[in-house]
Amino acid sequence: MIPYFNHPARLALVVVALGTTAVAIAAIGNSDDSKGISPQDTPADTALIKRGAYLARAGDCMACHTREDASEDYGGGRPIDSPFGAIYATNITPDPKAGIGDYGEQDFAAALRQGIRADGSYLYPAMPYPAYASLNDDDVHALYVYFMQGVVPVAKPAPETSLSFPFNQRWGIRAWNWLFADEAPYTSLEQTTGTISPERHAQLDRGRYLVQGAGHCGSCHTPRGMFMQEKALNDQDGDDYLAGSELDGWQVPSLRGGDGSGLRNWKEQDLVDYLATGRSRHAATGGEMRSVIQHSTSHLNDEDLYSIAAYLTTLGASDKASHASGDVPASQATSDSKSSSARDATTHQLTAAISLDEGARLYLDNCNACHFANGAGADSVFPPLVGNAQATADNPKALISTMLYGAQLPSTPKRPERLQMPGFDWRLTDDEAASLASFVRQSWGNQASAVSPEQVAEVRRNHGPVDATQQGRPEYLRQHAPIPSSTPSSN
Amino acid sequence: MPLNLEGQQRREFIRRSLAMIPAVTVAPGLLLATSAEADMPPLHKYSPTFFSDEEWQFILAATDRLIPEDEHGAGALTANVPVFIDKELTGDYGQANDWYMQGPFHPNADPVFGYQLPHTPAELYRLGIKGARHHAMTRMNQEFSDLPAEQRDTLLSELEAGKADFAAAGISDLPSSTFFSFLLQNTKEGYLADPMYGGNRDMVGWKMLGFTGARASFREWVDQHDVPYPLGPVSLAGKRG
Repeated sequence: MIPYFNHPARLALVVVALGTTAVAIAAIGNSDDSKGISPQDTPADTALIKRGAYLARAGDCMACHTREDASEDYGGGRPIDSPFGAIYATNITPDPKAGIGDYGEQDFAAALRQGIRADGSYLYPAMPYPAYASLNDDDVHALYVYFMQGVVPVAKPAPETSLSFPFNQRWGIRAWNWLFADEAPYTSLEQTTGTISPERHAQLDRGRYLVQGAGHCGSCHTPRGMFMQEKALNDQDGDDYLAGSELDGWQVPSLRGGDGSGLRNWKEQDLVDYLATGRSRHAATGGEMRSVIQHSTSHLNDEDLYSIAAYLTTLGASDKASHASGDVPASQATSDSKSSSARDATTHQLTAAISLDEGARLYLDNCNACHFANGAGADSVFPPLVGNAQATADNPKALISTMLYGAQLPSTPKRPERLQMPGFDWRLTDDEAASLASFVRQSWGNQASAVSPEQVAEVRRNHGPVDATQQGRPEYLRQHAPIPSSTPSSN
Repeated sequence: MPLNLEGQQRREFIRRSLAMIPAVTVAPGLLLATSAEADMPPLHKYSPTFFSDEEWQFILAATDRLIPEDEHGAGALTANVPVFIDKELTGDYGQANDWYMQGPFHPNADPVFGYQLPHTPAELYRLGIKGARHHAMTRMNQEFSDLPAEQRDTLLSELEAGKADFAAAGISDLPSSTFFSFLLQNTKEGYLADPMYGGNRDMVGWKMLGFTGARASFREWVDQHDVPYPLGPVSLAGKRG
């Protein structure tokens, strides 16, 4: 995306935002959404506040507006990386000075749906107001009541965002909004008489409303255009909608069922499992989605999760499954007979443990205990590698990062255990990691590009120091650090 | 101490077990001192940090006889067992850092009451080596390390049987059998522990046994009958032997 901004005219127009890592990392915050409700509230208020709290979960406001280390929710201050500098999420607690306590409901609605602050200036579109524009008045009201009455005020202001020129010219966002944002309210799914039951229609429409609006799934899952705009804001806006993208080098899978690396083999139940627990028979979550599941989707009720799942499974393939062009999807690998024999060939090679090349040998030494010779892993525990969307993505960064630094599933109400994959950065050289990654990407019928040691080295360079305690490294190996071998004991 | 054969064996078993437990639990501390497993130098390039030169010569000469190089596989010296012991004694194990080391000590107590000497393993080795060298001088009129293999075996057997007179070397509270038992136990550990602790160089100990190391899973082999397992060992740090 960077090259597009080399042209000054574009620069002026595109006061971008959308730090690609926007939905970043998790806020390990207080999850008690209903705190702050005072006893004198009427039952109606209490219900409304609860609904607002639920919608704030659905909208994952916390992902950006709560710092990881904050003791109170929604105090802002979390930096969202953009190519132009950090955009700081604001304090959205009801503190009148530091927060939004002096916002009227109209001000609140304008910020939420149009990206306009109470003082009339424009929010950077790191705030997903183009998606929130779909929120209906009732929901905006519930959110307003929640943020005014259900959230503890935080008096500390969040840091001001100060991007370099011209990105600090917020007026430019107005032009961007005019071109790319859509203030139109949500329009319900058309009821095609006779094809589906009214109940099913209501379910699909509810899912569609959540995906397009509060869930702002498109912020990451819809590819962005030249001006960082989402190429489609809803399913009426073109089949780029939710067609997959890339975030910080990690593939963001297409949510359109027909696309190669998308959800073709995912049943509604798989989607519900994944959103509720971060794990399903197809995948274990990683990257930014972990935070989304931890703080948002795992808090949604079953009815909404099934609605979202039902809606997503109705989306057809995009014309050009462009982002997955190099991949051979999992689904294909398992159904196609040629791939099926490739799958068997790898399984046999690993089972016999003879005629092993470097990658296969490293697989047996490092991966086989959990992902198994058939690469199939175990349902909801060890994700399959066969056709794994991240493992076979064009960009191998997600695979390399996971191999080197491990992964940890979120703890969710339905599946509290934080299953971990340990990191192998201390166990694999760049050459070894490259051979191993290439093996995973080209075995069992997977057909992704080979990985070079330079690509591994780059991931290491960008990662920074390893926090072994965060990594699932066994206790007795945590101190595997470069300490001189002749250090005598201090005792 | 009148003990029947069964009692002797039980006592020996328990005592060895006791020596083993601290060696295992002390591992994290040891690790601090032994991170560069991959680049572990061969024995002749290693400079001991715990042992003096004379003590080092004794350890080389003794471990070489406890696990000799022969047709079955590598010996203790090829496996860098003395390096393992040197590091072990330099670290927490040597200082008995997580042992209960307050008195009273009752050397004649039933073994179930645990280790009953006031010496840390580091002190025990200093005394034991001194006693053993003195015993060699007395019996063979030579340094232990200068003796041929057969005579070293004889002396080690005498240590094991508690027949070496450590008191003559001014050591009144350490039976030679106890020293031998530590030495043998630590030699086995150095031969078979993961290479990250300094011994088992190139996993020679595991190769001799046919042990596969830290590969973690052999699920595919449950139903492969009468097929030799084709892979060599892999260490905790992922190196292949």
